Amino acid sequence: MTEAGKLYIRALNKKFNVDAKEISVLEDINLTVEGGEFISIIGTSGCGKTTLLKLIVGLGGAYDGDIILNGQRVDGPGLERGIVFQDHRLLPWLTVSENIGFGLDAKIKKAERQEIIRKHIQLIGLRGFEKAYPYQLSGGMAQRAAIARSLVNRPAILMLDEPLGALDALTRMYMQRELEKIWKEERIAMIMVTHDVEEAIYLADKVVVMSSRPGRIKKVIPVGLSRPRDRDSYEFIRIKDEILKEFHLEAEKYFSYSI
Amino acid sequence: MPGKNKFLWRDLWAGLALPLGLLAAWKLVSAAGWVNASLLPSPEKVLKVIGDSLADGFLVKNLLISFNRVIKGFLAGSTIGFVLGTWMGLSKTAEKVFGPFFHAIRNVPLVGWVPLFIIWFGFGEFSQVVFISVGAFYPVVLNTLQGIRGVRREYVELGRVFGFSRLKVFTRIILPAAIPSVFTGVRLSLSISWMLVVAAELFGVSTGGVGNMMMDAREFFKMDIVIMGILTIGVVGFIMNQLLAMIEGHFLSWKRKAA
Repeated sequence: MTEAGKLYIRALNKKFNVDAKEISVLEDINLTVEGGEFISIIGTSGCGKTTLLKLIVGLGGAYDGDIILNGQRVDGPGLERGIVFQDHRLLPWLTVSENIGFGLDAKIKKAERQEIIRKHIQLIGLRGFEKAYPYQLSGGMAQRAAIARSLVNRPAILMLDEPLGALDALTRMYMQRELEKIWKEERIAMIMVTHDVEEAIYLADKVVVMSSRPGRIKKVIPVGLSRPRDRDSYEFIRIKDEILKEFHLEAEKYFSYSI
Repeated sequence: MPGKNKFLWRDLWAGLALPLGLLAAWKLVSAAGWVNASLLPSPEKVLKVIGDSLADGFLVKNLLISFNRVIKGFLAGSTIGFVLGTWMGLSKTAEKVFGPFFHAIRNVPLVGWVPLFIIWFGFGEFSQVVFISVGAFYPVVLNTLQGIRGVRREYVELGRVFGFSRLKVFTRIILPAAIPSVFTGVRLSLSISWMLVVAAELFGVSTGGVGNMMMDAREFFKMDIVIMGILTIGVVGFIMNQLLAMIEGHFLSWKRKAA
């Protein structure tokens, strides 16, 4: 793990104004992401996971506290941070290669652009589909193209907002392996938001468990297992239980309130 | 190209059945002498006049004169319409300023403008072009506005992730996303322009043009030329629409299945 691309989140608070009322979405978030580290964030809907990702990308507007990457406070989007959305968000009027090159730094010259696009098409295994339009792709293929698009500028850190959420179970498992492969090759930090506990453990060095309303970090669970991981191993299942227990407790608390 | 519409002879015959049937009925009616031949000349007579007019350039000359007016009016109206529609689409303020006025004058039927234009601009060429341009203007404004308003916010967000300037967001995201809708407006606009040129030539005093040709023929009771005029208007309108559909199909091939 390298020092470059280290991300610090310190005392992060984010409030939204809804109908003239202030609602706290994220409260006192503290997290350090090492360069090249894979973090999974897991939590129920409405725990502010997506808001957190958007803030790191620079799309979330003003916030209290600090998000610091490479020694600089995040204040708006930048090419050193990428994001993959749950909907692949490929532009339907562009081909796969045009989509992948869409966000490429305008300063890069044409020959080099072509080379970067070619390399990334190879990385995600979409050779032969360069000229296909998004409507001709399956969900998994489209999401792979979206991942490639987010990588072309060589970001130090990539945010993944439930990138596999819309895929069927089998494609999803296959894509988890692909994602791990890409992460290993690119050697960049990734922060993935997911609903799927198994997916979180399978991919992450650390699983961040969040609680809802306001969103807080409840627990950070390191996953020290060697890769590729065996979903049926004793350790894997033990970590899974540990995470699920966090939600179980939360559910009990919820019921005790409603009585 | 996948999804391309297949040309079917059966469809062609289905489309030709009604015109051919009418032609047969026309032939029958005039051969049997059931109608006054000076009111409805026989198909052969009309065919002969078409042949003669094509041979001596009479029809083509008038067509070109009409086309000239159509192109001027269409280009002026649709260009202004596109600019206004874009402006209203991008700026809420612009829509508030122009919107109510636009929707109010839109309710004035096109012929309602004729007295005003005659007094302001006379009966001549310019007056007719202005008349066409007003008709060409509305559909482009409406469809451009709708197209730009309909651009998914997620696409615009994508541009922000890559640090696009406002201009780049417009040219690379908003405009291409709105193009299908703009195209619909342009198509409508062109076919309206073509209908209006005939109307303009009927009210105006100018030389040449398909409408004028018909008015002159009516004065001399040359019904064969009047019918030739009607057929010409229909055929040219049909061909223009088909051509635009082909252009649209070529440039918007990415929409084939997505739509």
